[in-house]
Amino acid sequence: MIRKLTLALALAGTFGFAHAATEADVDASFNPYKIGFPSAPGLTPGMVLTKANVDSFKEVLAVGTYKMIKDGYYELKVGATTQFEMNKAYVEATKKNLNTAKLGPNNGDITGFVAGRPFPEEPDAKDPRAGEKLAWNYKYGVNWGDNAAIYPFFWKYRNMESGQLERTIKMNFHFLNFKHRVQDAPVPEVTPNPSDLFRAIYVKVLEPQDLKNTQLLIQRYDDDQKLDDAYLYLGFQRRVRRLATGQTTDAFLGSDLMIEDFEGYNGRVSDMKWAYKGTKNVLLPMWNHNDLKLTDEFGDSDGYKYVSFGGKGECFFDGSWQLRKVYVVEATPVNANHPVSKRVFYMDAQLGNLNGAVEIYDRKGELWKVWTVGKSHPDHHLPVNKGSGIGIDDAFSMVDVQSKHCTTGQFKGQVDAKLNPASMFQVQYMRGGD
Amino acid sequence: MTKLKAAGKPLLKSCMMALGAAFAASSGAAGLPELGSDTTPWTADVYYENHTAFRGKDATGKTVGLSKFRNTVQVEADKGLSDGWKFHGVLRGSWDGVYRMNKGQFGEDAGGPIMLQSTTPGGYIYTPHGAGPVTKDVVDGLGLTGNVFTNGYPDSPNDGLRVLGDRVHSIGGGVAFGVPVRPCDTDGRGCVDLGGYGDKNLSELEFSEFNDRLDFIREAYVRKNVPLADGKSMFLKIGKQQVVWGRTDLFRVLDVINPVDFSRNNIYDELQDIRIPMWIAQAEYRMGPSESMQDRNLQVVWNFDKFRPNILGQCGSPNVILDAGCFFRGMKTLWDYGGTVANFANVGPDTLLATNFGPGQIGLANVHLPEWSLENTQLGVKYEGVTMGGLAFSLNALHYRSQLPSLHGGKRATNAFINEYRDAWPYLISFDMYFPRVNLLGGSVDFESEALGAAIRMEGAMTWGEEFANTNRPELYSRNRVFRGVVGIDRPTFIPFINPHRTTLISGQLFWQHIFDHELEDGPLGKVGIPDFKDNFIATLLIKGFMMNDRVSPQLIIARDFRARSHTIAPAVEWSMSDDLKVTFGANFKGGKGANTFDDCRACNPWAPFTSGPDIPGDPMQAYSRGLSGFEPLGRFRAGPIGSAVNEDEIFVSLRYKF
Repeated sequence: MIRKLTLALALAGTFGFAHAATEADVDASFNPYKIGFPSAPGLTPGMVLTKANVDSFKEVLAVGTYKMIKDGYYELKVGATTQFEMNKAYVEATKKNLNTAKLGPNNGDITGFVAGRPFPEEPDAKDPRAGEKLAWNYKYGVNWGDNAAIYPFFWKYRNMESGQLERTIKMNFHFLNFKHRVQDAPVPEVTPNPSDLFRAIYVKVLEPQDLKNTQLLIQRYDDDQKLDDAYLYLGFQRRVRRLATGQTTDAFLGSDLMIEDFEGYNGRVSDMKWAYKGTKNVLLPMWNHNDLKLTDEFGDSDGYKYVSFGGKGECFFDGSWQLRKVYVVEATPVNANHPVSKRVFYMDAQLGNLNGAVEIYDRKGELWKVWTVGKSHPDHHLPVNKGSGIGIDDAFSMVDVQSKHCTTGQFKGQVDAKLNPASMFQVQYMRGGD
Repeated sequence: MTKLKAAGKPLLKSCMMALGAAFAASSGAAGLPELGSDTTPWTADVYYENHTAFRGKDATGKTVGLSKFRNTVQVEADKGLSDGWKFHGVLRGSWDGVYRMNKGQFGEDAGGPIMLQSTTPGGYIYTPHGAGPVTKDVVDGLGLTGNVFTNGYPDSPNDGLRVLGDRVHSIGGGVAFGVPVRPCDTDGRGCVDLGGYGDKNLSELEFSEFNDRLDFIREAYVRKNVPLADGKSMFLKIGKQQVVWGRTDLFRVLDVINPVDFSRNNIYDELQDIRIPMWIAQAEYRMGPSESMQDRNLQVVWNFDKFRPNILGQCGSPNVILDAGCFFRGMKTLWDYGGTVANFANVGPDTLLATNFGPGQIGLANVHLPEWSLENTQLGVKYEGVTMGGLAFSLNALHYRSQLPSLHGGKRATNAFINEYRDAWPYLISFDMYFPRVNLLGGSVDFESEALGAAIRMEGAMTWGEEFANTNRPELYSRNRVFRGVVGIDRPTFIPFINPHRTTLISGQLFWQHIFDHELEDGPLGKVGIPDFKDNFIATLLIKGFMMNDRVSPQLIIARDFRARSHTIAPAVEWSMSDDLKVTFGANFKGGKGANTFDDCRACNPWAPFTSGPDIPGDPMQAYSRGLSGFEPLGRFRAGPIGSAVNEDEIFVSLRYKF
């Protein structure tokens, strides 16, 4: 009996901080602004943060965002904080499966998770695995929903000093959750799924000429300890190559992004040591797409316009920022040879996404890149996204502050199951083109 | 072999029926594709590429100079058709100015008069092509007045010739003869269609895609994915296309459905650009996952095009892999016109005199290119899948024709000593060219090693029906089973001085070829049998770095043929100056042993006893090889494509622009 009790205590101590979440926690998690939106002294919607006044607002800025403004690269437009109501099915799944998810003995172990947000309770600074729980909330977050596409997706490579546009890449991105689906048929899982895949991302490059028909497939297992499978189809080789682990931390197609940077963080929970560093109110780029200054530079046939860019070297999107409740999370790679020494995420408490503001540090511990993804409210974007309850990634800026180089992204995000059939996420699909 | 062939017939028929049924089901269910009906507009990309190369000194000591000034325009067009069919086409037209700009090497002024070697106790002596010393008159003087050797070649003058293999090696006491090197409209000697090359005139060499096989249509096919029940689908693709099997770079173990044009740039162009597209129908039953497999696909490939072999390069053009095209042209010239063969007649101790053979005595007589027939079409089946654990694999079977020629010797000829014609002369170097049927079974697999931080690829295939030169056989070839395997490893590695933030790709491969029932014996004068090594290994290493956001990519490729003891080192830098303009600078340098020697069958004594001699041991009435060797003709199989190009060091610049 004593041995059992000791074991139980040890397990409790090892595996996590015992705290049963309640429905109130769920409500607070998905609506952190129930009692009102946050504010900061002197910060008002409509104002612009510039090099001249940014020091007054340093507390509500991510470190990287502050640096971009302070260095005169960017002027930040402040908007009003708005509700990003979450996908109802996802919220319901969270409630239904409350407290079923438990951390296992090791970083990256989880048991009992079914669907929804696995750990909706407020993170506790005293909980040594609070950061890991937030990472699980991200991994199993609504993100792009059960399935979605960025169709198309334009990336530009720029010299930030000169503004020279070096490359323009046109791609399609597709996302599919094989498991833990909450809304689109089949729920909860695409079957058969013998490998127990959780999620897959498929990318196809349309332009330019030397990259045309390059395709990327990433398959992530539900078992977080299992390495992702990644495949690359090279148009000029006409065959699928399996990617080695190290290639997911390389510049993807020469951009300033690694495959691991996709969506903020595109790796396993177990690849990082996660540390919760506190809760703050921070300005994140979130807006209504249809209210922005847009560009029709790509001449979409249906009239869709993209977020425009400006600032130093045209590396920064013309979007508005709003004060959001965020969890500051640090992720340190387990692999000592990883090119990154640390990432700092400002996780939006409501959406659970990681990519609003990210700082990436190089192996020497020096700030390397500043990574921001602006989100649009789905009801103020394409009609197909209306009511989806998903923050629509709308524009990104990845700035390499060391080489003064940036990659920008302009999205046409579409939460549309038809664009993402399960067959698209099989290796063979890559061989079926030209 | 017989059993396999017999089994192949019903397999061929049943697979074609299945393929036909697949297309019929598609068109029957949804109507035939209305190719003229628009569903999406045409899109087209137009490219221009210039590839200019300079070559250094060859074995003659002379600098070759310009070896390529190729200008290519390529149009890639797409169109969505009705019923979900999509069309993709690639048109390519090239003009290589090297034939006019360096016509002394590759055009109408190439070659010239040559001297051929004789071995005497006092050393080598040289006489012009046509001058013997062994001539009809000389043989008459021996009392063989009925002989049909010749005193000269009025129809095959000593001009526009090079000595066989002189770019790679000296004659060295071995076999050699004159090879015409000018375009076939300037010099028609030895010109014969070897399967898309060998008989080309200047304009056909310059504009290589404009020929009767319409090679300017690189690709033209329609494709469609037909949804079936349970998430399965049938993917169909029909038209002129490339079908790529396998997981290997550079080596073609499973990737053998399309032949390859080595004349474009030897082994140094991307396979995509040198595979010869064929008219092919393929159907792929995509079954998707099951309870035990993550992915399952069954592909049937029917190559219904008229047979085409690999293009090895016409003699006199810049890229003649293995110098094979020159051997063929020289041998065809010998058959049609006769010719002087160096170091041939063993008329005394340590004496081998150049000999004037007449037409119809030795050489290459006929090229048997398979005509189109249902029986001659080629069929492949592949099962490709991914296991639950993420292991990707394929199982492949292919019934095809060898894309490399096989020379069958010991054929009909006239005995030059006594003017006697026979339908067969065992061991005589009187050849016909064939392309044998081959069956292949193989597979491939790849997986990731987290411990090594690398992706590992393996590929292997066994073939039945391939033929090899074999001086131990009266017909001078044998049919052997062959296993080829490749293990490759791709490891991204941080090399800080190249890029501290981005890995450099290091990719190594080891290729192994094993010939079963290999024959190699010790004859009295040297090795006799199959010149290809029983076991051969070639290693490749690619180091590819990425700089300036991948716009600048330096790379180094090293290949080592271990048994040939030769290597090539190919550094290059790719620079994407913009989305539309890419410039590549590079070079390839070869080194090592270079040319090899092997039994050349001079001591085969096919016209016994006349072809015996004081230095040729054994029964003078018996025909068989004693193993006297030289560089030509079989040393090339030991030197391999790297060793036989040892004197083709090049530097190049390539520019590609998209309009």
